[in-house]
This record gives sequence, structure tokens and C-alpha cells, in this order.
Amino acid sequence: MTGTFAFTAEHEALRNTVRRFLTERSPETEVRRLMETADGYDPTVWSLMANQIGLQGLALPEKYGGSGAGFVDLQIVLEEMGRALLCAPFLSSVVLAANALLTSGDEAACAEYLPGIAEGTTIATLAVTEASGSWRADDVTVTADAQYRLTGEKLFVLDGHVADLLLVVARTAAGPTLFAVDAGAEGVAREPLGTLDATRKQARLVLDQTPARLIGEDGGAAGPLERTLDLAAAALAAEQAGGARRTLEMAVEYAKVREQFGRPIGSFQAIKHKCADMLLEVESSTSAAYAVGWAVDAGSVEVPVLAPLAKAYCSEAYTHCAAENIQIHGGIGFTWEHPAHLYFKRAKSTEILFGNPRQHRALLADRLGI
Amino acid sequence: MTDRSGLTEAELAAELRAFLAEHHPGRAPKDPGERLAFLQAWQATLFDHGWAGPGWPPRWGGMGLPLPLQAVYHREMAAGRAPVPPNNIGGIVGPTILTCGTDEQRARWIPPLLRADELWCQGFSEPDAGSDLTSLRTRAVRDGDVYRVTGRKVWISGAVHADWMLCLTRTGSQESGAAGITCLALDMHAPGVRASRLRDMTGGAHFAEVEFDDVEVPVSHRIGAENEGWAAARATMGHERSTSLAASGMRYQRVTRDLLDLARRRGQADDPHVRDRLAQAVTGARLLEWSGQRVLARVLEGGEPGPLASVIRLQHGVFEQQLHTLAVDLLGPYAQLDAADPALASGERHDGNWLRGFLRTRASTIGAGTSEIQRTTIADKVLGLPPEAGNSRSTR
Repeated sequence: MTGTFAFTAEHEALRNTVRRFLTERSPETEVRRLMETADGYDPTVWSLMANQIGLQGLALPEKYGGSGAGFVDLQIVLEEMGRALLCAPFLSSVVLAANALLTSGDEAACAEYLPGIAEGTTIATLAVTEASGSWRADDVTVTADAQYRLTGEKLFVLDGHVADLLLVVARTAAGPTLFAVDAGAEGVAREPLGTLDATRKQARLVLDQTPARLIGEDGGAAGPLERTLDLAAAALAAEQAGGARRTLEMAVEYAKVREQFGRPIGSFQAIKHKCADMLLEVESSTSAAYAVGWAVDAGSVEVPVLAPLAKAYCSEAYTHCAAENIQIHGGIGFTWEHPAHLYFKRAKSTEILFGNPRQHRALLADRLGI
Repeated sequence: MTDRSGLTEAELAAELRAFLAEHHPGRAPKDPGERLAFLQAWQATLFDHGWAGPGWPPRWGGMGLPLPLQAVYHREMAAGRAPVPPNNIGGIVGPTILTCGTDEQRARWIPPLLRADELWCQGFSEPDAGSDLTSLRTRAVRDGDVYRVTGRKVWISGAVHADWMLCLTRTGSQESGAAGITCLALDMHAPGVRASRLRDMTGGAHFAEVEFDDVEVPVSHRIGAENEGWAAARATMGHERSTSLAASGMRYQRVTRDLLDLARRRGQADDPHVRDRLAQAVTGARLLEWSGQRVLARVLEGGEPGPLASVIRLQHGVFEQQLHTLAVDLLGPYAQLDAADPALASGERHDGNWLRGFLRTRASTIGAGTSEIQRTTIADKVLGLPPEAGNSRSTR
């Protein structure tokens, strides 16, 4: 584990660059504007992200048009995006879809699709979940016939309404299989869902005899999907840690200036103790998220254990911190105008995304051989 | 003495493993008296082979290891299930003498402390002071070449066996708060010292109450300047011994594995609720280890330990209680027994230890400042929240 948690000057420079960019391009006013739009993101900002600082391609291999940076770098980006509540299809395209392609081992598909994802010209997503909400390959019911035409319904698909490329897990005679579907293909119907977290959109996909391209092995999606979800959970944990830290900062800033009974509320022990507990959770979340990140970069066999651990912990910590932030803000924290609820909704939504904490702890127990 | 400070991490780990393979004394006995003698002997073995005081200066018998090697040392000791040294070795007595003492004092006290030939206790808590150490009342009055000490300390770990006490005394006026405290090395065998066992809720008598009736302490036994003892004590209390923090996380991973074992033996490893709590216990142990590593990484870069160091103690206390609560739940009806009952205490596993730990860890969120005090400290010192009304002393 040597080197774990030892952030380099490059890491800090990346963090500063991303924070500056997001402060300028994704202030609260923009978050609020975009969450009310149907698409839910700003194409101009999206292409600036790709062209100006190369965020979409940052952690993708150089041979596919990326910069070949590490997973920890990707987490730093996500931590900052979580702080800023950026409205953009980054998690779906760069984390989920790109890793689904990479883990599939299908070099031709990677060569075809990844450069577009890296450039930001292709928005992609991964469609696994259906009405059950399960992310397990075994629970997939969408079918592919012998000609690889897909039929069925996907639900809770992140950014499915704006993605150009839909990576769909469907069942063939050989088992769960990954397919690429062009969003404009025949028999695809896409419908945005109303979401608790308006800053991250989800869609329903209805596929009716839709032509698709096989990615990887026929019947071989389960293993790569598991790996992809571990990486996605680790990435999301970093985003959650960033969001949680922001809620702590908001709470502390407010507790210092807001006066009640003639003194700042931060001088009351009850508020102090809430804030101290939030700090404990924020620091622990940061530890958990980056412990997986470093394990990914080191090629450690521990990733399958650490990923669900981090996801479960960071999920609960973020939800708790976001809730406490509202409580500490009192009445103002309950208003629509205050950003506290945006973090609370993002927290609760991401707590459930990819499976809830209890499910991740069950996964952790399984993988530990308990 | 062997200088190991130039070894690589792998070399040090290999040497330590080889040493443990040859000299590991086995499990410490349960009987408190036998246990102390056993741990003292173990500490002497460590010292005599140059394995005591990883971070302490070689001049006074320590190993002088650089920080990364200290971390390796603690990790290997924990992984090898080496007995934990007697109470005072890892405490704040040594660091305080090393930091604030004179060379004569260091030469006199550090080597026998490090070999556990002399046992020390920390005389901080007082009956009415609780977490607010600055309100302490044990008085030391200068009388020529000696201080005359009168007062009472309570909750003093290991005081009955101790040869010396690092004693905080009031030399200033009662209103002087933190500014009137002096730190003395007090001979526990001196006339006028009376230590009496204080039985705690586990049934054990780890603590003692100590009374001082006009005890003479040579002025040469004062650590640091008069009325500046608080700064001395606080400086060393603040040192959370970052290198050993990683080891405590490691130790808890081991304890967590024992817990998984217990769940299996009790036939509860298939219960989803139990599995959920086991996963939480594993998570807690990992988080403690990572917190330690992050502090270490920061210190290695030459920085301050940062907010995390303050958070770790809080994290520790809460985690220890959760862990033992789960263990006791797993014991089921056996948790109704006394820890020493043969039904629990027999066999290699000593399931009575879980019960003992369950009771003992009630002190984890009280000792050395309650969790509430720690939360307040974190809020004030780390997050910069305004002080509580009526608490202007702000001493911690």
C-alpha cells in the first residue's frame, strides 16, 4: 500500500484546475438552470470540458484517444464534480460506458467508440437495470434473438435520453451479453423520467427488435459488468465524498454567522457535535473512496472488497451530512431557494444508485467469504 | 545496539518477523499480576535485542527509525500478534520527558522506562476535574530544593504498580487555570504517597486512586519550567503517535477476523442482519487503518497531522464499542454469564474476552476526555466554530 493517500503536486494541480473550471462554469445558478431543462446538461460546457482540460479522456488509455491518467485522477475530477453538483453525463459516459467497453476486452469496439467518448463528441451510457432496479447481470430480462435484435424495457438508465450510444445488457441463449445500440436505431424509444435528483437525469428505454452490435463474448457480460460496477461504485464514492465535504463546509460557514439567542449557533454544543460527526464522516469517506482508487491503480486484488465497502460507507455518510446540513440551516435550509436540498437529493439518489448500502455490505460480506 | 534505521521496509519487516518467530512469548496470562510480569519480561526482551521504542532516539535506547519504518514496525508487531507492551511505554510519559526534559532526566528515566524496569503512570485526572484538566487542585509548593505535593488523583491506570508518576500539579493560584500547572516526576515509593485500587465495572482493578500527603519531590525532578507544565503535557498529548495509529487499525482488522470466526462458530454467519453488522465492523476497522495511513502520509511529507488526527480518537472509541456490542450479541445466552465463567473462559478462544471488552470499552468514550469533549475540540480547533458561552478558558 506504499504511496496510498500520498497526493502528488500533479494531483493538486488537477484538482485546482477542475475546481476553477467548475466554479466558473457550474455555479449554483447554472445548476438550477440546467436541472430544469430536458437534456439536463450544457453542450458548450461539455465540449469545453473535453477540449479545454480533457476531462472526458483523462483516464482513458492513450491508444483510444485518452490521456492515460490513473483512476485516482478520475476520482479527483468526480470529487470536484460532486462538490459543484455538475449537471453533465460524465458518470454515465466516461465512467459507466467507457469502462463497460474497456472491461469487455473487445478491442475493435474500444477503438471505434472510446475516442468519441474521450473527445466528448459521443455521449454514451450503460443500460442494465429494469423494473426491478437490479444491477446484476442475472436479473436482466431484455432479450436478444439470434440476429442480435433486442426487445424489452430498461429503466433508470443514466442520461439515456441524451446518449448517442447505448450499451445494453441483454440475454441471449448463451446468457447475459453486452450490446451496442445506436440511439437512433430502429425500434428504440426513449423517455425521460422525472427524477428525485434533477441534476442527474434518467430515462426509460423501450427496445423493439432493435438491431444491436455484439460487444465482447456472447454470454460473457457478467464478469466485465461486475468489474465495471466496482469501478463505477469507486468513482461514485469519490463524488459522494466531495458532495459530503461541501455540505460540511456550508454547515460550518452558516453556524459561524447565524445568530440565535444572541450568539452564533456554532457556539452551541449541539451544533458543534453535529459538525464534528460530519467531519468524521467526511474524512472517512475520503479515505474509503481513495483507498479503492489507489487499489485500482495498483492492480490490487482487493478492489472487489473495497469497492462495495466504499460505496456503502460514502452513501450513508453523504446522506447523513446532507441531512444535517439542512437541520443546521433551520428554516432556510428547507426552502427551494437554498442549495441544501439539491445536495440532499443528490445524496439520497446516489445512495440508491448501483445498489443501496445494505446490498453493498452483503456483497462485501460475500466477497470476504463471511 | 543494532542500528536498523538504514534498512529497507522489506528488510526491516523480514528481520522483525524472524525475531518474533524466535522470541514470541505466546499469549499474555489472564491473571493481572502474572500478566504484568510477563509484559515487563517481554519489553526487556525487545529492549535487549534493540526492538524497543521504534521512534525514540538511539541515544536513550530507542531505535531511531524514520517514520515509514516505524509504520512497518507497528504493522508487523500487530500482524504477528506480539503482546502489546505494558501501559506506559506507548504513553505520553516518554515523549514528554524526551521533549521537555533535560539530558540528565532523559538519561535517568528513559532507558529503564523503555525496558519496563521502571513502570510509570500518568497523574492527570482528579476527582472534581473530569475532562477539564485545567481545574486540577493537587498543589505543589516550593520549599527550597523540593516541592511539597498534597492532593488527590483518580482513575490513574497502573498506579498501584508504578514506580513513577508524571504528575500535573498546581503551582499557581487556583484561578490560574492552565497557566499555573507544573509537571513533576513523582516517586511513587516516596513517603506520603498512598495508592489504592479502584475497582471498575469490569470487576478488575486497573485504575487506582492516589493520595499525596506532603510528598517531597526534588526540584530537579521538575519536567520543563514552573507553571509551564500544561504546555508540556498538551504538546505530547497532541502527538497522537501517528505511526502507531496505522497499527491499531491493523490490530482491529485482526480482531474483526476473530469476530467473523465467532459468528461462524455461533452459527450466525448466514443471518443477513448479522452479516450486515459484520460488514460494518470490517468497514470500521479499515477506516481506522486508512485514517492512520493518511495522517502518516501527511506527516511523512513534513506536514502537520491535520484534522484527521483529532478525528481518529473519536472514531476509535465509537468503533470499539460497536465491535464489542456485536460480539456480545453473537454470544447469545452466554452473554449472561460472567466473563470468567468456565463456559466462556475455557478453550483457546477465551470468549470471555469479548464480554470483558464489551464492558471495558464503555471507558473508550470517557477516558482521556469524553467523546463529547473531543467533538467540542474538533468543532473549535479544526472547524473553527465559535467557543461555547461561559467557556472562555478554551484550554484544549
